[in-house]
Amino acid sequence: MQRLSRWILITMIVGVLAACGAETPASGGAAGDIKVGAIFDLTGATSDVGVPYANGVKAYVEWINGKGGINGRKIDLISQDYAYKVENAERLYSQYVSQDKVVAIIGWGTGDTEALRQKIATDKLPFMSASLSEQLTNVAEAPYNFVVGVNYSDQMRIALQYILEQKSNATGIKVAFLYNDSPFGKSPESALDTIAAASGMETLKVAMPRGATDLTAQIQQVQAFAPDYVVVQNTAGPASLALKNAATVGLKTQFVMLNFAANEILVNTAGPAAEGAIGIIPYAPPAADVAAVKDINEYLAGKGQGSISDNDKGLVFSQGWATMAVMTEGIKRAAAKGTVTGETIRVELEGLQNFDTGGITAPITFGASDHQGAVATKIYQVKGGTWTAISDVVEVKK
Amino acid sequence: MQSGVFHTTYGKDMALQQSSWQKWRLGLVLAALLIFPFVADNSQLYLANTIAIAAIGAIGLNILVGFTGQISLGQGAFLGVGAYASALFTGRLFELFGGTGGTPFLVSILLAALFTALVGTLFGLPSLRLKGLYLAIATLAAQQIIIWIITHTPKLTGGESFSLRPTLLFGLNMNQNGDFRFYWLLIPIAILVTLAATNLFRTRVGRSFVAVRDRDIAAEVMGINLFRTKLLAFAVSSFFVGLAGALLAHYRLVISPDRFEIGTSISFLAMIIIGGMGSIAGSIYGAAFITLLPALIESLGRQVSNIYPNIDTMLPYIQQGAFGLVIILFLIFEPEGLAKVWHNIKNYFNLWPFSY
Repeated sequence: MQRLSRWILITMIVGVLAACGAETPASGGAAGDIKVGAIFDLTGATSDVGVPYANGVKAYVEWINGKGGINGRKIDLISQDYAYKVENAERLYSQYVSQDKVVAIIGWGTGDTEALRQKIATDKLPFMSASLSEQLTNVAEAPYNFVVGVNYSDQMRIALQYILEQKSNATGIKVAFLYNDSPFGKSPESALDTIAAASGMETLKVAMPRGATDLTAQIQQVQAFAPDYVVVQNTAGPASLALKNAATVGLKTQFVMLNFAANEILVNTAGPAAEGAIGIIPYAPPAADVAAVKDINEYLAGKGQGSISDNDKGLVFSQGWATMAVMTEGIKRAAAKGTVTGETIRVELEGLQNFDTGGITAPITFGASDHQGAVATKIYQVKGGTWTAISDVVEVKK
Repeated sequence: MQSGVFHTTYGKDMALQQSSWQKWRLGLVLAALLIFPFVADNSQLYLANTIAIAAIGAIGLNILVGFTGQISLGQGAFLGVGAYASALFTGRLFELFGGTGGTPFLVSILLAALFTALVGTLFGLPSLRLKGLYLAIATLAAQQIIIWIITHTPKLTGGESFSLRPTLLFGLNMNQNGDFRFYWLLIPIAILVTLAATNLFRTRVGRSFVAVRDRDIAAEVMGINLFRTKLLAFAVSSFFVGLAGALLAHYRLVISPDRFEIGTSISFLAMIIIGGMGSIAGSIYGAAFITLLPALIESLGRQVSNIYPNIDTMLPYIQQGAFGLVIILFLIFEPEGLAKVWHNIKNYFNLWPFSY
């Protein structure tokens, strides 16, 4: 036992020494590099979409650095996995801020971005998360959060708008809402409540437990309600499970997927069960003929990593790419005017007018009192295994 | 050269610090704690504060699991009860009834701890009939019920996330430069909790906890009221856990139910297993270990990322693997945890060169 103690002692000393070593700037960048932190979910509950998103962000950084960076200064992206756990995100955040001294952060989930909101405001760091929660667009509450894509609540409004257009009589339309049992899943709930109350829709809300391997019970609950439409707010993995279970149970209804459920992962995993599903997708699909998709394909081909249409990339990869593109534009404009700090980047981002993300999203416009980037999206449907646009660009009707 | 620690008076035998070396060590630790915030950056302070909160919670759990032998999987939820209760007492509860203002911060964390003690006692009731795995499942039910209540009463708990007002202590905004200011609040509270818990097991009540753990029937024969003792253990344990939860809420300012899920319960159990079941000091070592482990692996990963550029993609798996590996290694080689390891190291030097 004493020998073991000695080994443990030695290991601990080595560990502590290593930790001390890490405190000196370790990221190995040149002095002129611009440091951006990133908090990704690579192993947690939402890693099905977290991994392609992370790859998209990293790819953009490599691509822009390959093209000479920002006036010759490279972006140094410091990224870590947080496994979708709030406490990990907090730890990484505080490490990025006080040790790495980053000027901006790319985040991921709704729960952790919400939890960091107040810290972000005091530390004055622009923060773009993959979470499109409407709460994060409230400038009074979250002055340094920017939401690039159409937010979840607006996606829900657009989905319901579409549903109401299909039926001449709104009263009595039954809409079931299947959601991830987390802040992310519940984010568009209040938009649903408001519209349902105003239009006389009947609604049923069913939570999908996190990490569930079978959703038959939830689907049966939905089946008993006999809805005309089922709106799903979850990531693609659990959403395709719901589709498969619905096929098994024999639930006949129209599924409407909000953005994180509507991507190629859903089509690949659910197979024929995904056929006919509608998706509210604020990002251009891989087949789209837009500038950014060409850039991505050129970059990927140069690295020998296939193309954007590969199963491990797709829509979510583009989302990561576009988010980083917007952040980079803010940094670029701040750099052109002088110093790059969180505050100057924020000012520049707020000045963005119809910034083109290479066609991945609708043009991005921020303002001093408006941190919601895109507000318009197309509606897609799975036809023959691919997402096909069934509408023009639509916005929430005011 | 001494061959052991001997006492010539009862007073010395009862002392918390039994040798002058221990007093020196205590002095050194206190001095280090005083200097630390002035040399550390915010992220190190954040880690220290997180450890302090985790240590308070782990001490609470250890009182129940390590000292009284009642397994609990409800730790996460009880932390949540403390966090939400204190958040409600400092503001929202008053707003709900049309009032303004709220209870002062220090009063509110105490009220929250007391409220958690009450809830803990309630969910401790099954322990009178249930033991071992069965009790574990009953506390698991407590975990699920409490989280369900928190997520499904949005009026009360704010639903997905709950923002607290900045914490005011004697007119000082604690959350401004929060990592530094909270350090001065959390460390003294952690020290007080440690002192209280250490002394608890020098009293009749504390010893009756240990008696119940060692053999409940024998304890009852000796005149210990099992009903009272078990419930008291649940109450005392939940009090500290609730205190940790309340402090967490005011430190972080935004709380959400996913912070208090079953995973949190498991990591607190890991803290006391690795630190040492039935050891107050062990709870602190365990809290520090579990909090620092991922940070250590990350910084190690960064060190070697220049040599192995692909380590980034493997790091998350190494982290999770290390967590499991550490627990298994401790269970096999040192079930009594870091507290025993420290003890062994001390003995090794104390008895050198005549150890056997």
